[in-house]
Amino acid sequence: MKKVFIGFMIISAVLLTTMLVYAAKPGFDDQEIRIGQWGPQTGPAAPWGSVARGSKLLFDIVNEEGGIHGRKIRYFIRDDQYNPSQTMAGVRDLVDRQGVLAFVGGVGTAPGVAVQRYLQQNKIIWVGVCTGAKSFHVPHNPYLWNMWPAYDDDASVIAKFLVEKKKFKKIGMLYQNDDYGLDSMAGAKIRLKKYNMELVAAVPVEPIERDLTSQVARLKSAGAEAIIGYVAPTQAAIALRNAVSVGFHPQWIHSYNLTDYVLMNTITDGLWAKEGVMTSAFTEDIFANTPLQVKYRAAAKRLAPTERWGIFYAAGIIVAEPLVYALKKVGRNLSTEALKNELDKVTNFQGIGPKLTWRADNHRPPRALRIWQSGPKAEVIVLQDWTENELSTY
Amino acid sequence: MDMKRAYYEDIELFKSGTILFWTIVFLIVLFTFPLYLSDYSLYLLNLIMVYIIVSVGLNILVGSTGQISLGHAGFFAIGAYATVLIMTKLQIPFFVAIIAAAFIAAFFGFILGLPALRLEGPYLTIATLAFGLAIMHIIGHTPFFGGRAGLSAPTLDIGIPQIGLSWILETVMSKYYLVLAFTIIMVLFAINILKTRAGRAFVAIRDSDIAAEVIGINLTMYKTLSFALSAFYAGIAGGLFAFVLGFFDPFTFNLILSIIFIVMIVVGGLGSVMGSITGAALITYLMYDLFKNVGEVPFVGSLLIKVSEQWMTITGMDNFNYIALGLVMIGIMLFEPLGIFGAWIRIKKYWKTWPF
Repeated sequence: MKKVFIGFMIISAVLLTTMLVYAAKPGFDDQEIRIGQWGPQTGPAAPWGSVARGSKLLFDIVNEEGGIHGRKIRYFIRDDQYNPSQTMAGVRDLVDRQGVLAFVGGVGTAPGVAVQRYLQQNKIIWVGVCTGAKSFHVPHNPYLWNMWPAYDDDASVIAKFLVEKKKFKKIGMLYQNDDYGLDSMAGAKIRLKKYNMELVAAVPVEPIERDLTSQVARLKSAGAEAIIGYVAPTQAAIALRNAVSVGFHPQWIHSYNLTDYVLMNTITDGLWAKEGVMTSAFTEDIFANTPLQVKYRAAAKRLAPTERWGIFYAAGIIVAEPLVYALKKVGRNLSTEALKNELDKVTNFQGIGPKLTWRADNHRPPRALRIWQSGPKAEVIVLQDWTENELSTY
Repeated sequence: MDMKRAYYEDIELFKSGTILFWTIVFLIVLFTFPLYLSDYSLYLLNLIMVYIIVSVGLNILVGSTGQISLGHAGFFAIGAYATVLIMTKLQIPFFVAIIAAAFIAAFFGFILGLPALRLEGPYLTIATLAFGLAIMHIIGHTPFFGGRAGLSAPTLDIGIPQIGLSWILETVMSKYYLVLAFTIIMVLFAINILKTRAGRAFVAIRDSDIAAEVIGINLTMYKTLSFALSAFYAGIAGGLFAFVLGFFDPFTFNLILSIIFIVMIVVGGLGSVMGSITGAALITYLMYDLFKNVGEVPFVGSLLIKVSEQWMTITGMDNFNYIALGLVMIGIMLFEPLGIFGAWIRIKKYWKTWPF
């Protein structure tokens, strides 16, 4: 029992010395504004971790330009390994001990849902959670501003494009068997109903499945001319290879989560470009020559030379842009309420992401999407510019 | 050096007045933590205590009985899901739900214990590993369990709301006391059970199952009992975890978590309750707190970030988390195979004869 007790003493000594009284700090002072983000830097979901590092690039640029009204941005990344308990720990740590004014981005539905209530209760500004799940905008959360289009809006715009522009009669769907796939299937079905059409086949995929022969065979036997895909990048690649190997060449069109054409083309050994795969998109082409894109690419080369300039990295910039914009508008008299007011007034703001308009009672993500196609060198061809989903249900 | 002269000396909880005194002081300190610790620290303490319960249970199986389980995240998941589902779908009070959930976990533990009668070593490891993974995927597949989208825990009401007796725990602090109470009970239970007939049977099986059978220990019963008991602990911990976190999805209970549980007891010391406690506390603290914040430590932090960016990947600091955790384990295996508990025994011996 003595052992038990000494052990207890050791633990408590360690904990006490390191955890002693940290009074909760406000999110800023005269010198700096503290902003945080979580994201999987290690573990199975690590490829999405570049979102959090992308935001760092924008904050570094802002700091280089002299900060925001005399304050520098201090930015914290917490690796949560896509594990909600770690997300919660990291977020509480940043809020309680470091004192952060706002969070940007944050990859994944599960980690986001885990901390949503906590952040709302503590009135921490949160801009641009990186998922299209509905639970983030229904019901309205006054401290969360959304940017990722809802998946059913996305699928609806895709279906509209396939029917009205491309005149496809037989549309199939390959979807991931969870919220991501099911939300979007609902959106696609509502749209098709308008044209008195139905999906000729809707084939589910489990996120861990790696053999998609039977799914592809079902789509083929249903005679699908176009297939809407709501799956992970790996599975999109496997399905494409599979289809080509059995001589099945439908028009593939995937969700906006698969817009990294360079990556997709690499993992499909060039089939992505050869088959002219399409996707929806809610951003600018990251290789476009708009002034902002050129500026960011140059900055990335200088400040983060080891990063690959891809869509996830750019997504980090996209979520941070409106926050920086609002912070600049607030001026020197910063407070959570002042920042909230400015974010509520954002109207037609556009950086390299979607065009944003928020109101105090409406923080919904944009409903407009574009349709892209992969060119022969995996470059982006814009087939259809911003199109709003007029059937949006919320 | 701990000479026992009578059976009762061996089973008594406090071997001297000094120990009793300091234990009480320590408990008082534990109970006053919320007065001077921040919410974040309390959340971390809650997590630590949840993991303490799991590893105390796991240590009964691995350390005391000599079986192995790489599927404990599965029992942990069963505890979390069963508690929440029983409460929300059947409208049953929290305490009944968490005990029922723990018994469900224990039942699965019993089932998993059956192959352990024939399997040993790596074969048993694989069987338990498969169990853990299967649980994760079955839950993910089934809409009734919330599917892959996960489940949110309801408001934690430890009264009986069905007859109007509500006692809602909303703050981290109130949850801290609840988890603390459970932890103390479960730890005392573990200390005691190891001194009963069952506990001694476990140790006998670990040392040699043939010899144990020869002296009249029912292997079937005690091996499955050990699995069930260990799963019961994981079930209780899972039920608490559901409310500490408030939300969880199947992926939370992945293989890595099972491995971390093993790491906790190996680092702490196999076969000792004290080891499980120190191991769980140390590993949780390192993983969730220290290694996450190393980047902000002055000088050392920026130096490590530079090293990481230069020689490792762009992810920077976060690689350090894994590497440091690995180094801690290798270090302990090399220099202190008995874990923190072993180190403590050595220190104690050293001071007994100091300065000679």
